[in-house]
Amino acid sequence: MTLAGRAAYRDELTQIAEYDPRILCLEADLGGKGHPFAVKHPDRFFNVGIAEGAMVDMAAGLAEGGYRPFVSTFAPFAVLRAAESMKLALGYLGAGITVVAPYAGVSGGWFGTTHHCLEDFAVVRAIPGVTVAAPYGEAEMRAVVRRAAVTGEPHYIRTGRNAAPLSLPWVGPEPPVVNWDVHGAEPDRTCLVSVGEVGTELCLAVRRSLPTLPHAHLCYLDQPHLERAAAELAEHYDRFVVVEEHRQAGGIASALALLLPGREVSSVNAGESWPVHGGSHEQVLDELGLNEAAVWAALAPHEVPPHGAPATPLEQEDTE
Amino acid sequence: MAATPTGCHLGGSLSVTDILIAALDRTADDPDSEVVLSKGHAAAGLYAAMHATGILTEDPVPHYGAASHHFTGHPGPSVEGVRFPTGSLGHGAPYALGWALSRRLSGRRGLGIAVLGDGELQEGLVWETFQVAAAQRVSNLVVVVDRNGGQNDGMVADISPQPELAARFEAFGFETAEVDGHDVGALRALFDTDRAEADRPLAVLADTVKGKGLRPVEGKAASHYVTIDAARAAAWKRIVR
Repeated sequence: MTLAGRAAYRDELTQIAEYDPRILCLEADLGGKGHPFAVKHPDRFFNVGIAEGAMVDMAAGLAEGGYRPFVSTFAPFAVLRAAESMKLALGYLGAGITVVAPYAGVSGGWFGTTHHCLEDFAVVRAIPGVTVAAPYGEAEMRAVVRRAAVTGEPHYIRTGRNAAPLSLPWVGPEPPVVNWDVHGAEPDRTCLVSVGEVGTELCLAVRRSLPTLPHAHLCYLDQPHLERAAAELAEHYDRFVVVEEHRQAGGIASALALLLPGREVSSVNAGESWPVHGGSHEQVLDELGLNEAAVWAALAPHEVPPHGAPATPLEQEDTE
Repeated sequence: MAATPTGCHLGGSLSVTDILIAALDRTADDPDSEVVLSKGHAAAGLYAAMHATGILTEDPVPHYGAASHHFTGHPGPSVEGVRFPTGSLGHGAPYALGWALSRRLSGRRGLGIAVLGDGELQEGLVWETFQVAAAQRVSNLVVVVDRNGGQNDGMVADISPQPELAARFEAFGFETAEVDGHDVGALRALFDTDRAEADRPLAVLADTVKGKGLRPVEGKAASHYVTIDAARAAAWKRIVR
């Protein structure tokens, strides 16, 4: 396991700020004590308190003043409470703000429904001009943060709460539009398409049982990136199963289905129910029906698990 | 601009025009200072003030609210001289706060001036912002309240009154000043005050008259949004004061 997304973000941003004085870090009382950016660059760190909307709007003023503000709060508060601020500041104004949103999906586990966010893709992807990323693992998170800092363009970066597995390898300075994981894969099979931490974990688990299945991992999920991804996917396969920790409505599978007419696109998602019980991240996902069994169900009847295939549990490690 | 098929937010535009002229005069030659009309529905007043002060070179009147022109009923950054999109109430205050903070971080002395309506103070976002501004001691933030007493559906005092407004700002950690919002000289003096030594943001409570200058609508909540024909516009122009 590697650093959780939020920890990797804080460390990477702290490093970038060493050589880029335009970088600012804003938190809304959820950055934790001993935030590395606050320790290293106290003059450019602002804990604004529990004021998510004001934080995003303030960031617009800071960006217009020549800075590159990164703001962070839990996904449900960033995306839903500050939705209008995101629309106006990141979208309409096009301010160079990066919103980093941990606790996406149901990674908060026992924290309950108020702290879950299964709606962020639907909201943020509907705002034109915002680069949307759901990095898998520490290396992807660091690369996405670097991209946001270098380009100064509006970004929304979704991450979970817990420690993350190793990112898939790639070649080049930033994750590709489609990161192909096809060692041992066969043509004319159903292609797994993974989104985010849980989606990727589940696809990797299925591939461990059936390596002949191709797997396409997507890190960037805004419409321009998805259009390029869809074109690349269509060059190679006709049948796709998209796995994502999000509701079906407004999810990546529905977007890809529109971009892939004539292809078969199925969705494995978190469904439409409310996760009202406690438990670990994995247990809440099970309650929602987002697990390896659901992926196999979506793959049937074209693909079936080999006899005795293990239902690999998601590995979880809480960090606080 | 009210004499168009679309009409305009006339009452609040007329109440805020003197404030905007004074603020824009202060910032016209100072690229480090920014005026944000948070009560963006008074766009007609903003466009008029910007045109009168020479910031806006194009005459907005023939194009207000018209297709293919960017002088929309709430201002956005496609308008020359407008930096932030406002109209959804409350956002202008934190935009100005961020701007003011950026100047402080850059070691510059510019101001962030947010012009709000008194009805707008019913938005929670502005108090969230004031809390942050006071906590961060952003002394180059100036919040001006165009206290005209009206809002869309009636009078502020009837809908959600704001007693002890100056004391509220004081309690939030602001310096406060109360001024006649149509006394351009007094407003200019406030905006010209050197805030280098201040350690708190400033709230200016500017008492104004909704529909100022047009006796038929002065002080009336119904002036909030007005559509008139050309004949009435001509008649009103003859009596404007």
